Amino acid sequence: MSKISIIVTSEKLDKLYPAITLAGTAAISGWDAELFFTFWGLLALKKGYEPSDVSTDYKQFGAKLSEAFASGSMPSWKTILEQGRATGRLKVYACSTTFGLLGFEENALESFVDDVIGAATFLGKAKDADITLFIS
Amino acid sequence: MEADLVVDAKFKSCPGPLLALASVVSKASPNQLIKLLATDPAAPSDVREWASNVGHQVLEVKKIGNVYEIYVKVSS
Repeated sequence: MSKISIIVTSEKLDKLYPAITLAGTAAISGWDAELFFTFWGLLALKKGYEPSDVSTDYKQFGAKLSEAFASGSMPSWKTILEQGRATGRLKVYACSTTFGLLGFEENALESFVDDVIGAATFLGKAKDADITLFIS
Repeated sequence: MEADLVVDAKFKSCPGPLLALASVVSKASPNQLIKLLATDPAAPSDVREWASNVGHQVLEVKKIGNVYEIYVKVSS
């Protein structure tokens, strides 16, 4: 079985979507997929978070992206995530250090987060991945 | 080709067509024929790759105007 492990370090639309799209597509294709959210990526896992901004360098494309989402041509990131997770093959991990740094309360994260883990644990999970990406 | 189910994913961009197809296929019966309608030019290649991963069969891809008709047979 193939496996992809992705490290996500930003909560912005343009960083979140490539990661979620690849992980969700992998899971529905029979792959294992792991997402490790660290630093600002962790902000995307906070309860109720909806991405609306793109990275500052590309903010001129923000309106165009909003249009695509409003028209329904792009599935929402939660739709992709939920469909991937429904296969049982897509796992979402939050970085324990960032969790502490940002002062998150114990139940601050969405229920789709499988676990809060440290670097060594993630490395242990990712070491047999066929593809590993760092998206920042 | 007479499809048992039609999935309309026109005007959806990647990964929309594949998510829509996979969702219907997961509830379909073995050997059913699904017709996926898509305008995303990446759809035929994506569906072929997906099908080869999960064991379904792409029987035919037609292009009518801007619309791809992709026929997928659910594995038995």
